[in-house]
Amino acid sequence: MFEIRFHGRGGQGAVMAAQTIAEAAVNEGLEAQAFPHFGAERRGAPVMAFARIDTKKISVRTQVYVPDMLVVMDESLLDIEPVADGLKDTGSAVINTSSSPENIDLGKRVRCVTVDATTIALETLKAPIVNTAILGAMAKADPLVSLGSIKKAIISRFGEHLGEKAGALNAEAAQRAYEKAIIGESIAKRQQAKRSMWLPTWQDMPAGVALHPGEVGGMKVGPGSAVQVRTGTWRTRTPRYIEERCVRCVKCWFICPDAAIHRRKDDRIDIDYDHCKGCGICSTVCPARAIEMVRGARL
Amino acid sequence: MKVKVLSGDHAVAHAVKLCKVDVIPTYPITPQTLIIEKISDFIFDGEFDATFMHADSEHSAMSMAVGASATGVRTFTATASQGLALMHEMLYVAPQTRLPIVMANVNRSLGAGSGIWAEYNDSMPERESGWMQVYVEDCQEAMDAIIQAYRVAEDHRVMLPMMVCLDAFVLSHTVEKVLVPEQSEVDAFLPRFRPMNYLDTSNPKFINIAVSPAHSMEMRYQMDHLMRGVAPFIDEVDEEFSKMFGRRYGGVIEEYRMEDADYALMTLGTATSTARVAVDELRAEGRKVGLIKLRFMRPFPHERLRRALEHVKAFGVFDRSISMNGFGPVFTEARNSLYGTGVPVTDHIAGIGGRDLTVQMFKEMFQRIEDSVKGGGRDCYWHGLRGEQI
Amino acid sequence: MSKQLTIRTMPQEDMLTSGHGACGGCGLSTAVNNVLRVLGPDTIVYAPASCFLVFSAQYPISALKVPFIYSAFENTGAVISGISAGLRRQGKASYVVGFAGDGGTFDIGLQALSGAAERNDDVLYVCVDNEAYMNTGTQRSGSTPFGAWTTTTPVGKVIQGKRQHKKDLMSVIAAQEVPYAATLSIAHPGDFLRKVEKAKGKRGFRFLHIMTPCTSGWKTEPSATYELARLAVETGMWTLYEIEDGAKRITYRPKEMVPVENYLKMQGRFKHMSKEDIETLQKWICKKWKMHYEPDMVSPVPRSEEEELSMVEEDNEGI
Repeated sequence: MFEIRFHGRGGQGAVMAAQTIAEAAVNEGLEAQAFPHFGAERRGAPVMAFARIDTKKISVRTQVYVPDMLVVMDESLLDIEPVADGLKDTGSAVINTSSSPENIDLGKRVRCVTVDATTIALETLKAPIVNTAILGAMAKADPLVSLGSIKKAIISRFGEHLGEKAGALNAEAAQRAYEKAIIGESIAKRQQAKRSMWLPTWQDMPAGVALHPGEVGGMKVGPGSAVQVRTGTWRTRTPRYIEERCVRCVKCWFICPDAAIHRRKDDRIDIDYDHCKGCGICSTVCPARAIEMVRGARL
Repeated sequence: MKVKVLSGDHAVAHAVKLCKVDVIPTYPITPQTLIIEKISDFIFDGEFDATFMHADSEHSAMSMAVGASATGVRTFTATASQGLALMHEMLYVAPQTRLPIVMANVNRSLGAGSGIWAEYNDSMPERESGWMQVYVEDCQEAMDAIIQAYRVAEDHRVMLPMMVCLDAFVLSHTVEKVLVPEQSEVDAFLPRFRPMNYLDTSNPKFINIAVSPAHSMEMRYQMDHLMRGVAPFIDEVDEEFSKMFGRRYGGVIEEYRMEDADYALMTLGTATSTARVAVDELRAEGRKVGLIKLRFMRPFPHERLRRALEHVKAFGVFDRSISMNGFGPVFTEARNSLYGTGVPVTDHIAGIGGRDLTVQMFKEMFQRIEDSVKGGGRDCYWHGLRGEQI
Repeated sequence: MSKQLTIRTMPQEDMLTSGHGACGGCGLSTAVNNVLRVLGPDTIVYAPASCFLVFSAQYPISALKVPFIYSAFENTGAVISGISAGLRRQGKASYVVGFAGDGGTFDIGLQALSGAAERNDDVLYVCVDNEAYMNTGTQRSGSTPFGAWTTTTPVGKVIQGKRQHKKDLMSVIAAQEVPYAATLSIAHPGDFLRKVEKAKGKRGFRFLHIMTPCTSGWKTEPSATYELARLAVETGMWTLYEIEDGAKRITYRPKEMVPVENYLKMQGRFKHMSKEDIETLQKWICKKWKMHYEPDMVSPVPRSEEEELSMVEEDNEGI
């Protein structure tokens, strides 16, 4: 059995990619399954999806803990999640990045395929929807499912949802990604700490699904504890504050959905990059163009 | 103490007043309406200082009860049948959030082909919800069960909501002599409500937010564990109640003429009264029969039941509702309790849709129970059914 | 209330903190946070099943600093009534606010809402309206506008988008003669704050209806949220007014009606719309425009200097 784990962000189409690779496998006469990992978070938040491929009927329905292939649809996830957790030493990783494999630090040395899926998507589809380009790179990383089958599955699945033309364009994105993907090996510098999560026994669980503000097992809990969640890691565009242009209207502070703009005493502002999701509303609301959006997760 | 002649519904209303309940969200439904009408009389006449709320549905009534209870005040509501079904979604909130709401449910048959008469197919499905359930036998017990309910529910070792179930019409609209305790007696028995989880801006807490699979399983186990341990508290409170008021109900079960009984029947609700007569008459004939009155369906008294039945040769269970293609719910629980003891257990369905229960029916049940020792019979009998049971 | 609240003078403490899980560019978060900033820390919040519930807290973490409770979907009006009754019983004056979405208000929650309004319970009901069931993935609600794509009004070969107009919920509320009801837009902060403050200062049942653009359900750029909220008012898709003790007052009147097409073309949910459908929607808007603006001879409320500043939209054109 061949197991694949996708890491993406809400809205990037990780689930659709998993479903498409499964359909491609079935087209080749194999058995396959694909399923999402539903969390409560929204567009931009880290998400996972899973796929399994085998020559016989697949019975297991657990999540994928020891993948043969790791697919990372957003390079920034490498810094915030232990994405390579459990990846087999003989496995491979497919990363959406403009870097080459030897610059990809997965915390382990594995076969690594890099592709600039974002650029390919922007050029081919005129939108940063990277899932089809990633599928093309997957075919290069492991010939388990052929590029032809993947393209056929893309035309069928995406065509059905978005129309024939979109199906063909997405297949083209896969083809280009296959051609441009670079095969190499990742590096093993980082030591990714396991995310700490408070997991009390039933005896230690406070009664009644209720909590006061407090700290347990190294994490804040209760009312107001979400400040410890660094939603700034969702960011793909970053606001730059040009202080000299600021007219101190603080409209940006009012409009920010994430309370990530802080007011100074003189009503100039500071941007809280730990929490700013990079939506850019602040720049549209600013009457003085004192906030500019810059591509990328940081300035 | 005052002697009054009260219906079951009015006995409940008097008890609610004696318990000094703070907030009472209501919605009318037959045969519960006498309860909320009487309470509104008390309040509108200035005899009872409580916040009476007119909900737009039973779903909203229970939603209001949850909201009010979550601020830390004593809360009561009442319903029946379809109303309880409409509340179903909301019933699950109070136990898990540990809100000790007390509710009277006047048992009335539910669904199509149904009327407004007694049957337990409204409340039995709610035994999964985490509410404690007590079924009462007479008007006095209806009153006393409400008082006991607050005492048990609000005990910090428990902190679970309780449903006091009384039979439609046979109890809700039947008047009997009821000893109404003095306010000072109830005050002495029932301490002020000390909430566990409550909404307070000076000490903010969240209550019931989204829970992922990483935490929900421990919460469920905690609730199950809690409910499994509640029965002794109920026995304890009944004991204390008897010291104060001179009346005793036995806690989770009451045993009637069970000493040396070879054959026992378990009943609940008003059926128990009539079954007592059957037992007395059979005893007079020299038959060694006894009765167990099931008071609590949740927590189910597995242990005390096993102990009470240690010496019987056969046991039968009266059920006033049926799980289609299964058995009566009380039978299912009781047979689980007795699993491995080898005692033959039979189920006795009767009184469905409020059909009258006669002494003769209970005598027939005892006959079936005696016969079950020989083996070869059915494990479920309908009593008073026209047409042969096949 | 002699001095009107403005962005500059409003309370700055966040009751909905950073770190919540809403989509980037979520209009609902802006609305909730600013309502709560004005209400302050002596506030208890109820959330029914909704995006708000899901993004603001997940055990054991919560972005709300104030006490917060959830129970079901259809009962916002009832639960907040119960909370208010329990608090008043104890002599506590905390504000009780429920934030329900359009599905939880227009559709499944209408009965409980109507009950609370009729009883005039001392609560603030806020409908954060993103015009579909966004929490379950964008299904049609009674609030979804005509023509809009949702997953249950898809762009099919035979039928394209929703065939019915948006329910006029405010008229339903107005018919119940509540002490205060108002419509709000996050693109009009001065008006927004004045209305929240007014609602805060009143007793009895108060209703605030806020249009909150939704980047994922409307298929728009996250950065477009403000511009969409602004254009909704300029096109007449959304009208800013208040009803105080039965008297309706328009609180902002666009200089002239902007064609609805300008609003539609920014959003993926409308991009399939035919000329005829756009005309149908435009006609509906014209009817509403007339209903709201023409019989109303009261001039718009005077705006403070800050608010005038906050209304400088010209600089933002062409984003």
